[in-house]
Amino acid sequence: MKYDVMVVGGGIAGMEAGLTLGDMGFNVLMVEKKPSVGGRMILLSKVFPTLDCASCVSAPKMSATGNHPKVDLQVNSEVKDIRPQLDGTFKAKLVRKATFVDPAACTGCAKCETVCTVATPDHYNYDLAANRAIHIAFPQAVPKKAVITKEGSSPCSYACPAGVQTHGYVSLVRAGKYAEAFRLHMEDAPLPGSLSRACYAPCEGACTRGDLEGNLSIRAIKRFMVDRYYAEHPEPEYGIPEALRSDRIAIVGSGPAGLSAAYFLARKGYPVTLFESDPEAGGMLRHGLPPYRLPREIVDRDIKNITALGVEIKTGTPIGSLEQIQQQGYAATFLAVGTLAGQGLEVQGRDLEGVVDAMDFLSGTYQGKPSAAAAGQRVVVVGGGNVAIDAARVALRQGARQVSMVYRRTRAEMPAHRAEIADALSEGIALQELRAPAGFVGQGGKVVAARWQEMRLGAPDASGRRRPEPVPGHIKEEPADLIILAIGLAPSTGPFAGLGLDLDGTFAVDQESLATAVPGVFAGGDAATGPGMIIAAIAQGKRAAFYIERFLNGESLQGVTFDARLPVVSHDTVLARAEGPRSARPKTKVPELPVETRVRSMVEVEQPLTEDQARAEASRCLDCGVCSECHQCVEACPAGAIHFDQREVEAEIEVGSVLVATGFDLFDARKKPTYGFGSSANIITATQMDRILAPTRPYNSVIRPSDGKAPANIAYVLCTGSRDCTVGNSLCSRVCCMYSIKQAQLIMGSLPLADVTIYSIDIRAYGKGYDEFYEQAQGMGVRFIKGRVAKIEPTADDNVIVTYEDINGKVGVQKAEHDLVVLSVGLSANPEAFGLMIAPGLARDPYNYVLEPDEDLEPGRTSIPGVFVAGTAAGVRDIPDTVLHSGAAAAQVAAYLRRNSSRTAAALAGRP
Amino acid sequence: MTEKRRLGAFICHCGGNISDFVDVAAVRDAAGREDDVVVARDFMFACSDGAQAEMSELIRSEKLDGIIVASCSPKLHLNTFRGMSGRAGLNPYTYNQVNIREQCSWVHRHDTPAATAKATRLVRGGLARSRFSRPLTDLRVETVPAVLVIGAGVAGIRAALALADMGIAVYVVEREATVGGNVATWGKLFPHDRPGSEIVATLLDDLNKHPNISLFTNAELTAKSGSVGNFTVQVQLRSETISLHVGAIIVATGLEPYTPRPGEYGYGTPGVITLHEYKQLVDEATGPLTYQGKRVKTVAYIYCVGSRQGSDPDLEEPNLFCSRYCCSAACHSASLASTADPDLDQIHLYRDMRTYGRHEVLFEEAGRKGSVFMKFAGENPPTVESSDDQLTVKLRDDLAGGEQAEIPADLVVLVAGMVPRERAKLQEILRLPLSKGGFFNEIHVKLRPVETVVDGVFIAGASQGPKTVAEAVASALAAVSKSAALLLKGYIDLPPLVAKVDASKCTLCDNCFGACPYEGAITRQEVDGRQVAAISPNICKGCGGCVPVCPNEAIGVDGVTGTQVTAAIDAMMKDRVHA
Repeated sequence: MKYDVMVVGGGIAGMEAGLTLGDMGFNVLMVEKKPSVGGRMILLSKVFPTLDCASCVSAPKMSATGNHPKVDLQVNSEVKDIRPQLDGTFKAKLVRKATFVDPAACTGCAKCETVCTVATPDHYNYDLAANRAIHIAFPQAVPKKAVITKEGSSPCSYACPAGVQTHGYVSLVRAGKYAEAFRLHMEDAPLPGSLSRACYAPCEGACTRGDLEGNLSIRAIKRFMVDRYYAEHPEPEYGIPEALRSDRIAIVGSGPAGLSAAYFLARKGYPVTLFESDPEAGGMLRHGLPPYRLPREIVDRDIKNITALGVEIKTGTPIGSLEQIQQQGYAATFLAVGTLAGQGLEVQGRDLEGVVDAMDFLSGTYQGKPSAAAAGQRVVVVGGGNVAIDAARVALRQGARQVSMVYRRTRAEMPAHRAEIADALSEGIALQELRAPAGFVGQGGKVVAARWQEMRLGAPDASGRRRPEPVPGHIKEEPADLIILAIGLAPSTGPFAGLGLDLDGTFAVDQESLATAVPGVFAGGDAATGPGMIIAAIAQGKRAAFYIERFLNGESLQGVTFDARLPVVSHDTVLARAEGPRSARPKTKVPELPVETRVRSMVEVEQPLTEDQARAEASRCLDCGVCSECHQCVEACPAGAIHFDQREVEAEIEVGSVLVATGFDLFDARKKPTYGFGSSANIITATQMDRILAPTRPYNSVIRPSDGKAPANIAYVLCTGSRDCTVGNSLCSRVCCMYSIKQAQLIMGSLPLADVTIYSIDIRAYGKGYDEFYEQAQGMGVRFIKGRVAKIEPTADDNVIVTYEDINGKVGVQKAEHDLVVLSVGLSANPEAFGLMIAPGLARDPYNYVLEPDEDLEPGRTSIPGVFVAGTAAGVRDIPDTVLHSGAAAAQVAAYLRRNSSRTAAALAGRP
Repeated sequence: MTEKRRLGAFICHCGGNISDFVDVAAVRDAAGREDDVVVARDFMFACSDGAQAEMSELIRSEKLDGIIVASCSPKLHLNTFRGMSGRAGLNPYTYNQVNIREQCSWVHRHDTPAATAKATRLVRGGLARSRFSRPLTDLRVETVPAVLVIGAGVAGIRAALALADMGIAVYVVEREATVGGNVATWGKLFPHDRPGSEIVATLLDDLNKHPNISLFTNAELTAKSGSVGNFTVQVQLRSETISLHVGAIIVATGLEPYTPRPGEYGYGTPGVITLHEYKQLVDEATGPLTYQGKRVKTVAYIYCVGSRQGSDPDLEEPNLFCSRYCCSAACHSASLASTADPDLDQIHLYRDMRTYGRHEVLFEEAGRKGSVFMKFAGENPPTVESSDDQLTVKLRDDLAGGEQAEIPADLVVLVAGMVPRERAKLQEILRLPLSKGGFFNEIHVKLRPVETVVDGVFIAGASQGPKTVAEAVASALAAVSKSAALLLKGYIDLPPLVAKVDASKCTLCDNCFGACPYEGAITRQEVDGRQVAAISPNICKGCGGCVPVCPNEAIGVDGVTGTQVTAAIDAMMKDRVHA
């Protein structure tokens, strides 16, 4: 891309200079970092001293900028690494930020705004009102295109192995859109019911609220969403996809991984057959998880989500070998056989009656055929994982006299989920730490006691946990009636050993694509990863489906990104953004059955949240990534313009010259603590007041924020952040006196009964027509008090006390009470200009503005030949002076381009 | 009967903004049944790239010679669809926009049948206008690549240099014998302490090197004719009058320091001098200041002399404006004086200290170097009394709680403002309006700050109002930009939607002359041996003011001719008027 001049910044200065240069016939590239040109001026109500509407003055310039045939406007873009070339031109990098909306398709109809579930402070209204995560910057925006504010993946969504849009469904529940929330979940994972009961919820661990009053109970929110949806939809809303693909796919194992793969492939139109050796589908969901954690009707309903797509589940059909499938003509196979076998234990007495494997015990119990009866027995469970906990709690519910768990390390090292350990102990299960079985003692072939070796913790092992070592000579024998061994799960990979297994018996697969050594055969889930979370198995199935489809399409399995989520937003970023008035909102306690009741049955322990509780809990969400990706806008957009896969694009550009029009920063009123900004809603900045007065204002009239009443006694405090070395700015900001007088006049127009007082050191009405404007305000009854304000404090009844030195009137230090105080904040230098060039960059003046080495005769020239500056980037000025300065800068650019092109032409002509 | 046309009617849903309240398909079908309509379509968003491509294709394949788009306000998309028409090979001025959003769907949200009926009629009206539309061509005016700069002060010379740098010929006309204007007479200037004379010398040096610039001193503009891009001006030199051909004119006539009236704050009394006079004293001083042979130990400055005179009841035409530069200049002079004589006592009597922006530093520095500041209110100005060679300034000092103060002073410096130069003759020749303070007025202080109501005539520098050197130069270069934008291309295209006179109907009643707000747009011309009114398309803006005052209906504005408007009204009211 080549241009004569690149204008950086699309405020009034950039637009004025860019349009003038375009009119001269130069090719102009205008780069604006925000979604619209217009800068700060378009946000003003009216402008002094003519009192014409800022919008009417700006909008035609904005429109001209958008439509000028010689001006290429690039919004949402930033420039960096500007490098001067030997021939006087420049090279630079142009970065177009992702807005997740295709500007060519977007028509600015704003339908998306009406369905968005995330509210975010409207920066164009200086945070007085809320905007939506997808929004059109402001009504007069040029170009009028929607953009999505998305700072990255929200921690909860990013923590989910399956990429469930956690933030998305939470924001949908918050908005009361439960079915939409459910459907969004179904885009990424098909077993929401099971997950809502039994997921270990890594999302909750990642939740930023966890740094404050406690994380959101996301799983409980999900449970509410699922329960509501399942109650209303006993059957899935969809049926078999229309366009069926011809390639048939076989999946072995109907656990979470197999079901998930089947679901995603069937949605793409593939005929899928699931082979399950057990009489019922569900794998670990059915055989591993106790009903008091996951009721079976939930599993059944979850599975309907898959079978509704036409997936055939052949239960009671064990697969003995790969060939058995391959003979049936499947184009691809996914092995998700799980880890349902218990690991063996070489110990004396293992074969005694009353020594059972935990998986056998549990799955037998769930199927009504328990392998051992715990009622009335002294039960000991060996192991510290989740299966051990389940076994102990199930034994308790069967009426065991006494249940204890034996673990060779301590509670801290137990692999079981913290909450589950706590639940088990609260139900009365005893935990014996630092014990390992040394042998089981039998009588008549039946176990009567166990011998326990006392352990201690030694050096850390490969897993980082301290390795347990026997304490020599410390062996104890204790009576026991039932020993349940839960010392690990083994993969059921035996029949497929020919594909290649790792040492632990899991499938050896490519970690990215889950492909085995045999083309078309993929393997995943616990059988490939070892025992893990349900959601991780679902993620494996989803991944397998993605790569199986590529395989069937003849596409490479390498070099593609399956998980293209944006980088995660850090907690610090979120908490910094959310600082200020943010109400503390305690976590909703998820109700549970009382211990006495629950240990007597298999009834679900956790109880559901009410609708109000669920929405209140969802409302605690801090919207970390801002946009939640709830996808409501995708549905609503008639133009199909929204693309969440859009990413930042970088381009190299060549330009003949550079014009810096990066504008100014507003003084942050918080840096003057004695003025109390933030301590009361009724202390606002004048930029906020300008929005309140503007035609596109956030409220419908001039009101004070605390109670929405019309203010009757308003104070303006001039020189907030100007002429004040205590805040690091001794300069005058040039515009504040005048904009305050302007606002005072506008207020007297809309609130004729209001008193307006302006506190000042001097009134600097120095421009054309300004002093007359000042006189006019005095004539209208605006009170001017000479005297700097020392302190501003809120009163208990939301009024504000101003302490000042009255120079002309009563004389001396005085106090006055107002019902609204407006801080006339000054302008300060915007350091952005200095980051544009590669080192050494533009020279700056002592006040951090871009230096013009000869301001008198060469306005607009900077320290670097070919780089010019326009407007407030070179020092504060009002709009008329900015427009004039921009005109001057345009003349400088034109002269440079002409000189440089004739020099270049001469150099070219001189060549042999 | 009119000739057959091939018209296209395109109706927009605007996503739902229109189609939620108007039955767009019905409007489209009704449009399709209108005479001469060969294609009627509806689009979800007519303005989208895709819809524009489809419409362009239809313009070509159906050989359309006129189209309407029924969508939003023309303010939004008239240019969009004109541009699209042009790119598709259709004359842009045969395009007509029909507003069925702001003027229909949005205001009739509760009555779809009525909104649909109204939209149908609006579309019919638009089609009727299109049926009588004629291809029009922009009026292209060749421009002369030369500029007349009036005034050879800093602003004028800097403008001339910049124009010459762009390859534009420049004629600089200066009324005085010397160049450099006010700045040449000032010594060290803030904020850099460079003498004004040196600044002017630098500029003159460059000016003399430029072959593209012709400088005329002792010269005055005496007449101007022609219009934008093409002016002829007469310049009176000492012994002859020359005629120059230029495309644009930049007025940079500057201002002059206010001269106090005799007796104003004791002006005329020895020891009471203006800041301008005092500045020369300071600039020449190498040690303590002396005035009329006496060492000056105490200086009192009185601010706002000649400015902000609103509360002076004696003045018939008070200067209400603030002169902008004086606070900074006085503080700067005080610092220079302190440097020359650190023991000098300096007391400043001011109203509001207007050292705006970076000039705040000058105020601080003066204070740091020992200046004392006292504040008076506009309605309580200080007085200056003189007795026995001793000046006494009396005031009510607001900074001391309104205490009366008497300050004996060796020198009283009147910080005098700036006033416009004598410009009546120039104003008459160029017909430029003046602002309240008597400076030349721009069209719009923010939108078009160097342009005037006369196309091609620009104002620059302090002729607009008081300015510092940097500000005057910035505005001069802004005027250069605008001139260059006008002249560099070699031509200007003016929109052809201008008024035309049907000479056969004109009786030269003169009514139109009075109705036209644009100087020189309507002239008398002889056609077929008769004197009739003629309208210059270069000056006419197509406002239509002349049309209704013509008793013979001899004037029409292209693009909205009487035929078109009548046809549109008839079409909209069809089957209702005669019902």
